[in-house]
Amino acid sequence: MSDLDDFKATYFDECSELLTELEEQFATIEGGDQSSERLNAVFRAIHSIKGGAGAFGFSGLVGFAHAYETLLDKVREGQVRLSPDVTALCIRANDIVADFVAAARAGTELPGEYGADEKARFDALCAGEDDDGGEPMEEFDIEFVPVMVDLDKGAGEEGPADPAGLDAFAAAPLAADGEHWEIRFRPHSELYARANDPLLLFRELATLGELSVRAVFEPIPLLADFEPFGVYCAWEMTLASPTATETAIREAFEFVEGNCDLEVVQLSAAPVTVAEPEALSLLAAVEPIAARLADRMPEPPALELPDEAEAPLPSFSDLADTIKSAAPARQPFIPIRSEPMTPRAPVAEAPAAAPDAEAERRNGVQSIRVDLDKVDRVVNMVGELVITQSMLTQQMDDTLRQKYQELVRGLEVLAQTTRGLQDSVMAIRAQPVKSVFSRMPRLVRELATKTGKKIRLETIGENTEIDKTVIEQLSDPLTHMIRNSADHGIELPEKRLAAGKTETGVIRLSAEQAGGNILIVVEDDGAGINREKVMQVARQRGVVAADQQLTDEQIDQLIFAPGFSTAEAVSDISGRGVGMDVVLSNIKKIGGSVHVRSWAGRGTRMTLRLPLTLAVLDVMLVRVSQNPYVVPLSSIVETMQCSRASFERVPSGGKVLQVRGEYVQVIDLCDRFEMATSVDEKNRFVVLCEAEGSVKVALVVDDIIGQQQVVIKSLEENFESIEGIAGGTILGDGNVALIVDVQGLKTAKLRRAAA
Amino acid sequence: MRILTVDDSRTILAMLHHTLSNAGFEVLQAEDGQKGLSVLEREKVDVVITDINMPVMDGIEFIKHVRAKGIHASLPILILTTETSQDKRDQGRAAGGTGWIVKPFDPEKLISVIHRVVH
Repeated sequence: MSDLDDFKATYFDECSELLTELEEQFATIEGGDQSSERLNAVFRAIHSIKGGAGAFGFSGLVGFAHAYETLLDKVREGQVRLSPDVTALCIRANDIVADFVAAARAGTELPGEYGADEKARFDALCAGEDDDGGEPMEEFDIEFVPVMVDLDKGAGEEGPADPAGLDAFAAAPLAADGEHWEIRFRPHSELYARANDPLLLFRELATLGELSVRAVFEPIPLLADFEPFGVYCAWEMTLASPTATETAIREAFEFVEGNCDLEVVQLSAAPVTVAEPEALSLLAAVEPIAARLADRMPEPPALELPDEAEAPLPSFSDLADTIKSAAPARQPFIPIRSEPMTPRAPVAEAPAAAPDAEAERRNGVQSIRVDLDKVDRVVNMVGELVITQSMLTQQMDDTLRQKYQELVRGLEVLAQTTRGLQDSVMAIRAQPVKSVFSRMPRLVRELATKTGKKIRLETIGENTEIDKTVIEQLSDPLTHMIRNSADHGIELPEKRLAAGKTETGVIRLSAEQAGGNILIVVEDDGAGINREKVMQVARQRGVVAADQQLTDEQIDQLIFAPGFSTAEAVSDISGRGVGMDVVLSNIKKIGGSVHVRSWAGRGTRMTLRLPLTLAVLDVMLVRVSQNPYVVPLSSIVETMQCSRASFERVPSGGKVLQVRGEYVQVIDLCDRFEMATSVDEKNRFVVLCEAEGSVKVALVVDDIIGQQQVVIKSLEENFESIEGIAGGTILGDGNVALIVDVQGLKTAKLRRAAA
Repeated sequence: MRILTVDDSRTILAMLHHTLSNAGFEVLQAEDGQKGLSVLEREKVDVVITDINMPVMDGIEFIKHVRAKGIHASLPILILTTETSQDKRDQGRAAGGTGWIVKPFDPEKLISVIHRVVH
């Protein structure tokens, strides 16, 4: 990746953060908070987006952001009122900025007129408020006032340079070749206060041609009247250059414009140059003065205590001496060449301060940015550590335990520490779901506009944290679910009113942590799933057998079946040729599950259950025939011995288990995975699991070995996808165990039954 | 030579860092004026480049604070500014800014501006 790509990546990252912030800020602003802090933050966000865009030449984005920024600037200055209308315009503008950023990221161009309407409105708004006399006067104009009025300072520094010196200058004899310029330069004390250095200006000028500099000393007052920060020196220069222009010369003084008196006059011929030794001696005399003046500028004690004038003047005597000795040698010109002169003692050559960890800490470094790859490396190593630790624990048999009690204690501590380490590492990867949730308001706005419906989005629990990888995978499914809710769930306003509901439909998006899982719920108060239609379509497409009867809940889940879509015509919004089955497969990919419930006329609720982390799973280790299998602990309800379970045969030949009056489908893993069991039926175990929607499944296994943590290895990546198996893992003893996919087993069973 | 760069935009900080370190400068970074001040408290720097619009403490305030400290009276401070924000540039100068750099900057120009304010 080139440097530029690196910068772009940083920029786009930053843009998404800023856009998220904008979304949040405007949510608060819409809520009535128009504090300047908020308006400033909004302004800054757009300003930063524009700044970066300029650096990469995203001109469309720069143009739009600039117009928007101008408006925001007026808003924060109070010149444009942030009415609900303007707020709505801004929110729309945020979306447009986001589109520009997305286009820039994708390397595509938006149409030229994109955002032009909004831009025109910005300009109109800005112009409308400007009628009262244009730009307000800048209050910091003082630097352009030629005569400084400063009560702290003595007389003697007002007015331009001593004209006497200039006469001599003007009378200098001139030679006949090349273009020649006279430059008269008298700094004001502000020039020094802003850390400008005349010597550097001379150096700059010398790049234009042959430069001669002559110092013009003004009368030094008596000690009592001497102003330490006063300016008692001006310069006159002659520049011989065939190419220099007045603009180029003035450009050298660009930074000090307004802080000096400057005259640039073109002559027709060159002055006589002066012997170098003389010139150098004067240069040597001038330098310390310039240096001292610059160095001494604003030291408050000296200003406040004028009677202690001696205090800041240890150098006064040599200053006076220098000036005295320099004064007679006033006529010579000093040629300055393009190469830099010997600088005065550099300010910054003191040894760099040693790194001070304590100071670093005091100054509050509260966050650092770490490459995700680095974190992942740690996560993987911790995963391996977990395995090693559990292997060590397994190796401890009773004899060893008796013999090496210290070792056992050590291992226990190790187990605890490992667990803590793992939690901490996972916490590093965790991020609030806010980053995904914050994209949804815009989506809902767009959906509402497209469908002509009125929809309000409510978000709850957006600070809930989930693993970063999970969050990244969450955006698409969530977008799809919300589209589905807006398109199929929420009714048109008139329909809602007719049904006795409020005109505006509500989609509620919430996140919460429940045990080892995160629940994300998308809920709407729309019409609910039309089960009749769902069944009809499902039968048509062969998803369900013609004579099969399903419960309401089973029908609801059908919307996630592959290739299922009830939209009769493919709508612009959710029917994009892919159904909700994509949601399911995406969620499954990250180890989660989806469940839907619907109430006719009252709404639909879709629940995503996601693992807190992707890497490590708490499992129960079981034995099926001679092989170890693991069942995710989060799905296990209870376990029992078969001898205590009450099975009943059903006419179809299958078995069901009666648990507290409820009949639960039984899946014998030996049968299911086609293995023979040598264990007597009554010594086998039942593992009662909960699949989606609180549907229970009873798994029958040969033995229960224990509980532990495993690191999940993907089967798809390393082998191939197997129905009923969610993945694999390596056990402490080095054996491979497969992870049972409870939901998958259940669905497969259902499908077989249907076939 | 050490340069302190102060900007709330990571993009700009990264670009400055790249350009300046390639030119042989040592680059320090701070995300806002407040952080810039604490860097100056413990580190010796030769030039400061600062943005104006920043959270916590903006560039104008930052420059005023720097100038208020006697030891930094002659520390050159360059203001990062855009072509269009003349008023901000002027405010920055009035606060004690030595010169300015117009964004977007090209690397050569950036270096030459630095050489205009430091030996």
